[in-house]
Amino acid sequence: MSGWQGYFSDLWQYLQDWIPELLQAAGNTLKMAVFAFLLAATFGLVIALARLSRSRLVSRTAAVYVELVRGAPALTLLFLIYFGLPSAGIVLPAFQAAVIGLGLNGAAYVSEIYRAGIGGIDRGQREAAQAIGMTYPKVMGYIILPQAARIVLPPLGNYAIGLLKDTSVASLIGAPELTLRARDLSSEYFMPMEIYLVSGAMYFAMAAPLAAIVRWLERRLRRGR
Amino acid sequence: MLPDIVAVLLRAAVTTIEITLGGLAVALVLGLLIALLRRSHVRIVAVLGGIYVEVFRCVPVLVQLFIIYFGLGELGLRLAPLTAAILGFGLNGAAYLAEIYRSGIEAVHKGQFEAAAAIGMTRGQAMWWIVLPQAVRIALPPIGNYGVGLLKDSSIAVAVAAPEITFAATNLINETYLSTQIYLVMALIYISMSLPLSYAVRSLEARSSRGRAR
Repeated sequence: MSGWQGYFSDLWQYLQDWIPELLQAAGNTLKMAVFAFLLAATFGLVIALARLSRSRLVSRTAAVYVELVRGAPALTLLFLIYFGLPSAGIVLPAFQAAVIGLGLNGAAYVSEIYRAGIGGIDRGQREAAQAIGMTYPKVMGYIILPQAARIVLPPLGNYAIGLLKDTSVASLIGAPELTLRARDLSSEYFMPMEIYLVSGAMYFAMAAPLAAIVRWLERRLRRGR
Repeated sequence: MLPDIVAVLLRAAVTTIEITLGGLAVALVLGLLIALLRRSHVRIVAVLGGIYVEVFRCVPVLVQLFIIYFGLGELGLRLAPLTAAILGFGLNGAAYLAEIYRSGIEAVHKGQFEAAAAIGMTRGQAMWWIVLPQAVRIALPPIGNYGVGLLKDSSIAVAVAAPEITFAATNLINETYLSTQIYLVMALIYISMSLPLSYAVRSLEARSSRGRAR
């Protein structure tokens, strides 16, 4: 058997070991991304509303939060939460620390997306709806939110794609996900090229369909206007 | 203690800036090339350009860094951490910049091409002398935003042991165990670099949208 044939038959054996492990870790990546997205989407809304607050202190604090968090790398926040908080007596498992770090970081970006959505709707829409006798929930449900969703959905989708890839950074605090599993495997098998290519293909398989959906959404929503 | 920490981190900030500028330079050139390839009349070339963009945008940059640093090392091509980081962020950024250039080129009015053709320019000449200068002007704010993002993303280069701020901070913590203080100083250094930059980009945005208001 020539060298190449030997290589490929070995690789085929190894792939059968790697792929199930990496797939399982990819499940953790998805879980981390979903939890962090939910945290970012909720807390981001709180920040966006806080920035609209009449209280100067509240809106200023929210604005400072957005600026500071967007000014530093997400990795810094992860390190602070995972390595820094224990000195304050708060010890979190790596997975939770990653979800909280990515979520708090994402909330700053998401709040800006919401702000653009809320600001993108003409005041006259609400006034007109009230003028024809709509109640507040109806104004929100039928007039404001559908239009805001149109503005907000594509950037929110793009944020989700970015988040899915950024979960890889959580491997640097040892959170169990795809990239950490790939790192462990490559120090076990000494075949980093092959292993990272497989893990890269898995990220691609998760992110590319999401990107296609966002593009489709963008086109559809633009057609409506 | 604190002055020492700040001094070490500031020295490492030079490497952070090197990675950012180096990666941006590679991305600016390669991204333009890919944007032009995607407009090629040769179908296969245009498709390959599209695949490049799609693949590099859908895989985390950290994985790309690992492939370049550890993967190429396995094949016998051992790059220095700094080189690997610049190359990795450059190849990754090229995919994003290709998209930015593309929307810049598409935003230039078609009549510009037609007018250039009418005075006898070839397609290539029209692109280089007429369309691209206008497209780049439109693309400047998103390119700036990308640069600010890259400055922060360069922290990931710690994973391939490039001696930038995050790497220096990690080493300091191994010596001193002052993790919270050191990470806070590190965050402040990043913020003090990225905030002025993003304000500059914002004012650029405001200026360029004012210039084109009709």
